[in-house]
Amino acid sequence: GDVLLPAPQSISILSTNMKHFLTWSPVIVQGATVRYSVELQGEYERDHANGSWIPSSECAPTTATACNVTDDIAASVAYRLRVRAELGAARSPWATTEGFFNRVTTSLTPPVLRVLADGHHLLVELADMGPAFQFQLLYWRKGQENRVQQKVVREVSSVLHLDTMEAGAEYCVKAQAHVEAINRSSSFSPTQCVRAQGGTSLWL
Amino acid sequence: KLFHFGACRVSLSMTEIRAGFTAIKANIQSRDPVRTLSILSHPHSLHKVKSPDRCCVTHHLFTFYVDKVFKHCKTEDSFVNRKISSIANSFLSARRKLGQCREQNNCVCGEESTEKFKQILANYEGLNVTSAAMKSLGELDILLDWMEKSR
Amino acid sequence: SGELYCSLPNPRNVHFESINMRNVLRWSAPEGTGDGVLYKVKYAVYGIGKWIRKPECRNINRTWCDLSSETSDYEEQYYASVKAFLNGTCSDWMETTRFNPLTDTKIDPPMVSVSSTDKSISIILTAPEKWKRRPEEESISLLQVYPGLQYNVSVLNKKTKKRWFFSISNNTLVVPWLEPGTAYCVSAQIHVTTPVLDSGFSKEHCIATLKDK
Repeated sequence: GDVLLPAPQSISILSTNMKHFLTWSPVIVQGATVRYSVELQGEYERDHANGSWIPSSECAPTTATACNVTDDIAASVAYRLRVRAELGAARSPWATTEGFFNRVTTSLTPPVLRVLADGHHLLVELADMGPAFQFQLLYWRKGQENRVQQKVVREVSSVLHLDTMEAGAEYCVKAQAHVEAINRSSSFSPTQCVRAQGGTSLWL
Repeated sequence: KLFHFGACRVSLSMTEIRAGFTAIKANIQSRDPVRTLSILSHPHSLHKVKSPDRCCVTHHLFTFYVDKVFKHCKTEDSFVNRKISSIANSFLSARRKLGQCREQNNCVCGEESTEKFKQILANYEGLNVTSAAMKSLGELDILLDWMEKSR
Repeated sequence: SGELYCSLPNPRNVHFESINMRNVLRWSAPEGTGDGVLYKVKYAVYGIGKWIRKPECRNINRTWCDLSSETSDYEEQYYASVKAFLNGTCSDWMETTRFNPLTDTKIDPPMVSVSSTDKSISIILTAPEKWKRRPEEESISLLQVYPGLQYNVSVLNKKTKKRWFFSISNNTLVVPWLEPGTAYCVSAQIHVTTPVLDSGFSKEHCIATLKDK
């Protein structure tokens, strides 16, 4: 006869830098491989489509106990998510997230920045954080903190030219990540300073 | 990005809506065999909407899509359905901003624009609901292209 | 409509090929037909009832037809269709998908001109022009069609092999404080955010900074 499958427990959503994962505890059935299916319900489905649910793109089904729902949550509205266990024809009840999840609550980490001096040229390298991200760079000549300049970078290319520096002067740079879709920014990365040629090169 | 719809200044992220539509455009438009009719662009073109009326017309159009279009666009393709769901949910959050802006700025539709929107509804009612909804969804780029001119 | 009984295989892969809004209808000959196939072309504005014949593409043996003039209003969308004829028989009309000139065109890289002094290079970028019917017509830069247009510029120091990228909105860039007597190679790309349209990178334009006086 069919196995009575319990619903997955301790389901929760982890969201960092606009990457969203639903996780849950495994349902153990000795000697069997349990699979899981994940579904999502946005505000539109709840309020305008009779409370329907949309199967996730990655986990319909999966044997993992985590599901990347980043591509499924492509709007800044409140979503509910649910998961159930499957074994053969047996289906567990759905386990649904307690509250709602809106991607505006994703936690944003400062970008990984590397500042270089090449002669008189101030250069930066930024680690790619994904298509949703752009970067705001603030830079200034040390000692002229009141004349901070800003540059918005939409695409990460290898070495980005920020500005030219006066001989021997020291310049400092810091960066924050910005997500236009949720209109939020990370905190700033630690400041890094470099010195232009024509003086002792101090690269931190 | 900042959009100027008449008196309204609204920050909207249309990139994901545009990307979602581009991903399903060929599929959706292939389900609309009627070349001779358009919901949004004929006989009246959106491009003739006067600037002051853009806020109200845009809000009307977002409501039109949320209330009348998306729900009749279910397909047998789960990828397409997911993209439609993302677009629909993005429309909801954009409409909310438009609605707030419309209230704050008391944007009203002029007579001409009201007439234009009535024509859009008439175009929609002129087809059976599934064809009308699929055609409207297939014309999303007409709406997006028009909105982009308001940036 | 008095059409012959059409048993000829259909033209294949009927599609618009668009570069800088020069919109050319292209297709492949029907399978298994050698020479002698002739074609005729019609087009329609989406949302408007009637097909319009293209006289210059009637009974042609080539497999393309320039419809740039007919599809130059990029606030409209279009369909086009092709029919083949051979030895008294014909094919069906074969249609394109819906064509949106604004989003379905490809953009050429910008023109790059570079000059140098002993310690700097100056770069001037020119966005391609929108296709126009006659040379004497007023030019429309794609910058006017896509207001959010930006440039990505790559500058390669041929000696050190180091490559820097610049992201700029205006069309001029001066890179000072360079090494005298050194070759630098510049190439540039156009980047449009919405709709998402990127040109390729232009070919490299190399120039040497003057030797130190």
